[in-house]
Amino acid sequence: MNADVVIVGAGVLGAAAAWQLARGGSRVVIFDRSAPGREGSGTTAGNLHVQAVHTRRPGQEVPLDSARFLPLQRAASDRWESVEDDLETSVELRRSGGFTIAETPDQCQELKEKHTWEAAAGIPTEVLDGDAARAALPLLGPTVAAATWCERDGYANPLKVTPAYLAAAARHGAELVPYAPVREITRRGATWRVTAGEHVVETPVVIDVAGPWLGEIAALAGIRLRMTPVAIQMHATVRAPVTLSHLVQHIGEGLSVKQVTAGNLLIGGGWPAGSLNLAGRSATSTRSLLGNVALAVRVLPFIRDLRLLRAWAGPLAATPDEMPLIGEVPGEPGFLVAGGTYAFTFAPLWGETLRRLAEGAPPPVEIADLGPDRLMTQPMTHEGRQRC
Amino acid sequence: MIVERDVVVVGGGPAGLTAAARLASAGLTVTILDEQPELGGQYYRRPAPEVARRWGDHRREGGELIAEARAAGVECRPGHLVWGLADDGRTLLAEDAAGSPVRLRGRAIVLATGAYERAFPFPGWQLPGVTTPGFAQHLAASDHTPVGERVVLAGSGPFLLPVACSLLALGVKVAGIAEAGTPYRLGRRALGALRHPARLRELAGYVARLARARVPIWQGTVVLRADGRDRVSAVTLAAAARPGLAVRTVEVDALCVGYGFRPQTDLARMLGCEVVTDAATGDAIPVTDAAGRSSRPDVYVVGEAAGIGGAHLAKARGLAAAHAILTRETGHPTPPAEARALARLGHFTALTDALYPSPAQLLDLLLPALPDSTLACRCESVTVGEIRAEATGDVNAAKARTRAGMGPCQGRVCGFAVAGLAGGDTVFPARVPVRPVRISTLLELAAEGETA
Amino acid sequence: MTRTATIIVDDRPVTAVAGVSLTAALVGDRRWALRRNPVDGGPRGPFCGMGVCFECEVTVDGVPSVRACLTRIRPGMRVDTGAPDDR
Ligand SMILES: Cc1cc2nc3c(=O)[nH]c(=O)nc-3n(C[C@H](O)[C@H](O)[C@H](O)COP(=O)(O)OP(=O)(O)OC[C@H]3O[C@@H](n4cnc5c(N)ncnc54)[C@H](O)[C@@H]3O)c2cc1C
Ligand code: FES
Repeated sequence: MNADVVIVGAGVLGAAAAWQLARGGSRVVIFDRSAPGREGSGTTAGNLHVQAVHTRRPGQEVPLDSARFLPLQRAASDRWESVEDDLETSVELRRSGGFTIAETPDQCQELKEKHTWEAAAGIPTEVLDGDAARAALPLLGPTVAAATWCERDGYANPLKVTPAYLAAAARHGAELVPYAPVREITRRGATWRVTAGEHVVETPVVIDVAGPWLGEIAALAGIRLRMTPVAIQMHATVRAPVTLSHLVQHIGEGLSVKQVTAGNLLIGGGWPAGSLNLAGRSATSTRSLLGNVALAVRVLPFIRDLRLLRAWAGPLAATPDEMPLIGEVPGEPGFLVAGGTYAFTFAPLWGETLRRLAEGAPPPVEIADLGPDRLMTQPMTHEGRQRC
Repeated sequence: MIVERDVVVVGGGPAGLTAAARLASAGLTVTILDEQPELGGQYYRRPAPEVARRWGDHRREGGELIAEARAAGVECRPGHLVWGLADDGRTLLAEDAAGSPVRLRGRAIVLATGAYERAFPFPGWQLPGVTTPGFAQHLAASDHTPVGERVVLAGSGPFLLPVACSLLALGVKVAGIAEAGTPYRLGRRALGALRHPARLRELAGYVARLARARVPIWQGTVVLRADGRDRVSAVTLAAAARPGLAVRTVEVDALCVGYGFRPQTDLARMLGCEVVTDAATGDAIPVTDAAGRSSRPDVYVVGEAAGIGGAHLAKARGLAAAHAILTRETGHPTPPAEARALARLGHFTALTDALYPSPAQLLDLLLPALPDSTLACRCESVTVGEIRAEATGDVNAAKARTRAGMGPCQGRVCGFAVAGLAGGDTVFPARVPVRPVRISTLLELAAEGETA
Repeated sequence: MTRTATIIVDDRPVTAVAGVSLTAALVGDRRWALRRNPVDGGPRGPFCGMGVCFECEVTVDGVPSVRACLTRIRPGMRVDTGAPDDR
C-alpha cells in the first residue's frame, strides 16, 4: 500500500494533521495502537490557553518560557475560531474568557509581567486587583489578590474534538486504522516503510505524533529523542447548580477550573498521577487529588459544597525544556514530529504547520527553535559533568 | 482520624459479619464498615425497630449475627462509605455519615462489598414506579411498605419468586411474574437441580405459595415496554422468542425488573487485586483461592463480591477467610469440616444458575429487539441508538463518546447493557472515588494529611 | 398501636411508621417522582433501593443530594424533593 503521508498516533495532533492533509488532497493513513483519541487527547482538560499559562505545573523541573510561548498561543487561538465551521460540527467550543489569579505579592508581580508579554503578542488581557476580580467574578474567594482577564480563553470538549477532526479527515478520504500498533519504520532513499499490525505502507512522509510514545516511535526509525513522558490527573465534580462561565487558572500553582456544558466542574492543573502506565490506565494519586481540590476550593469556595464524581489520569508527551516539539528530524527527510505539553490548544496550529512542512512549504509561525534537533543531543555523560 | 486494626472488613453483610465475628472472637482487633445506615447487608437488611416490634424480624439470624459480632468486640461503623485508597496502597479512605474522613489500616483487609442488581433497559424503565426487585423486597421486609398495589415482576432468576411472596404477604396484588427463561419446566437441567433438594425445596415452596395465590408465572416472557405519565401505569409483555411482538398489557402501579446480581469489585480492583472475566456471567471477578485470598496477600475478597452465590455461601466464604487470616496471624490451622462445607456450597449454586439464562444469553435475547429510542444510561440520558452508533467493541470509547456511564451511578445501572451494546469489555474500569464523595470531606482529609 | 413519625415533604406533612427508610415513607405516601433528570427533565424516582442508582436523591434538612434509600426518617425531618407534586 502507498500513501502520501503516514501519521502515527490518532490523538488530537494526528487527527488535526490528517484533516489538514486530506483536505489538501493528500492520501493519508493514520495508525493508532488502540482506539483513537483515548490517551492524552481523551483525558485532557480541554482548555484553550490563550493568556499565559503558569510556568510550572506541580513537579515540573524547568519553568516554561512564557514570552516564547505566547505568540504560538495567539496563533493557535486565532485558528480555533474556525474549527467548528471547518469540521462542520459542534465540539462544544466556548470562548467565554478566563481569569488567571494570583494570591501572593510575587504572583501579582508575575501577572503584571505576563500582561506585558501578552500585549506584545497581541493578546488582549486586563489586570484586575482582588476586589475588581471578585466584582467581575463573585465566585472568587478572599485570597485572590489580583487576576488577569483574557476574553479569548476557552474550552472545547476533548471527547468531541479528536473524533470531529477524524470524521472530517475521513470525509476527505483519510484512512484511520485503529488497534494497529506501528512496530517497524525503515527508510530507503526518500521512501519510508511503515509496518503496523498486518499493514505495510510506503510513504515519503511519516508524522510521529504518538504522544507519550513519540520517543519510542522515533526510536523505531533509529532516531533518539529525549522525551520525558509523564501522567497527570483531572477531577470532575457532579453537576453543579451554580454557573461558572469562565476558565479560572492560577499563575503560581497548578489549577484550572471550568464548568463544562453538561454542568460538571472539571478541576485540573497538571498534578502528577500516581504512576505512568503506558500499557494500561495510569493510576491516580490521592495526594494530588486532595491537593488539587483543596486549591480549587481556596480559589473558588463554592466548590466546597459539591461532590467529587471522578478522577482520572492521562499521559503527556513532555519535553525536558517544557517547550513544544515540532519540525522535521535533521538528516531524516520526511520524518516529522510534533508533541509536547498544551498540544490540545496548539492542535489547529500544529495541524496546519505539519501540513505545510509535509508539502515543503514554510510554516505559518516561527518554529526553528522548536525542532527535534535540541532533543537529539546525547545526555551529558558522567565525565562531562565532572569537568564542569 | 486514623484507625489501625489487625483486620479491616469492608461490607457488613453475611460474609463480612461472619468473618469479623470469627476474627474478633479469636482476639484480633477488627473494624467493620458499611455504607448502609445499619449493618446486615442486603440479605440481612435490618427492619426498622418499630417494624420488627409490630410485624416481626424477617431474618432474625441477621440480628443475631450482628449481636454476635458486637459481643466479640468488633468495632462497627455503619454509615461509612469506603471511597478510595491512599497513595501508600493500603490505607483505606472512608467518609462517615456526618461527612468526616476516616482512614483505616489493617494488616489484612477483607472485602465483602456484596453485589448490586443486574438491570437491563426497556422503553419506559426510567418512569417512577419502575424499580429493581430488590427495592420491592427491602421495602417489604424492612419497612413493611408495599411497593405498589398492583405489581408485575419481571426479569430472570430465582430472586423474583421470594420477592413476589413478600409482596403477597403484604396483601399486594401480584399480577404476574414474567421470567425470560423457562426454568420451571421439568427438563434435564431441572432434574440436575433435583439432586440439590434444599435449594429445590426452597424454590418449590415459593412456586406453591404463588400458585395458591393464583399468581401466573409467564415463562419465556420479557418486558416490551412500560407506559405512564409521571408514574408507571401499564406494562406490555412479549414472548422471549419474538421479543418485539406484544402479547399482553397489564395495568400496574409498580413494575420490578431485575436479572440477578453483579459482584461489586471496585475496591478489589483499586487495591490491585487481579480480576478475571467470569466466563458464565461476563462479570469481572477477583481471582481468589478457596479462602478468599486475592492476588494481593493481605487482601481477601469474600461473599458476593467474589462471585454470586447466595447468603449461605457468603457466610461460608467469610468464615473461610477468617480461618485463613487466623492461621496466618496465630498459626492455628483451618478445621477440615469448614473446608468441606465450603466445597459443597459452591457446587450448589452452579446448578441453580444453570436453570436460568446466562447473562450472555440474556443479551442475545434482549439486545436485538431493544428500540434505539430507549434510554440506556439513566443518569446522563443517553439512548440505546446513541450507543449503537459508537459500537466499536470498546466500552470505554463508547462511554467517552456518549457520556453513558459518566453520571453519579458510575455506570453500575447501565453498565451491563452498555457493554453489551458497545461490545468488548464487560465492566467500566474502577475509578476513584467509588461513589461521589463530599468535597468538604476531602478538604478535611487534606488538612489531616492523607496518610500521616 | 404502631408508633409513627411525621416528616415534612415539600412543605406537606407525611406520616409513616417510625424509623422506616425515607423511600418507604415517600412511597407509602405515593410520592414517587423525587427529582427531574438534569439532562432530559423527566421525572425520576427511587430505583435500586440500595444506594447504587442515585435516583432517590433529595435534600434533607437543608443537606442536598442525600439518598433517601440510605436514610431513615426522624420526626420533624424536612425533605425537599426536586419534583414537588401539585396535589
Ligand atoms: C435485594 C436482595 C435480596 C436478596 N435475597 C436473597 C435471598 O432471598 N436468598 C439468598 O440466598 N440470597 C439473596 N440475595 C443474595 C444475598 O443477599 C447475598 O448472597 C448475600 O447478601 C451476600 O452477602 P455479602 O456479605 O457478600 O454482601 P451484602 O449483603 O451485599 O453486603 C455488602 C455490603 O457492603 C457494603 N459496601 C459495599 N461497598 C462499600 C464501600 N465502598 N464502603 C462501605 N460499604 C460498602 C454494602 O453497602 C453492603 O451493605 C439477595 C440480594 C439482594 C441484593
Ligand atoms: S434508590 Fe437507588 S440510590 Fe436510592
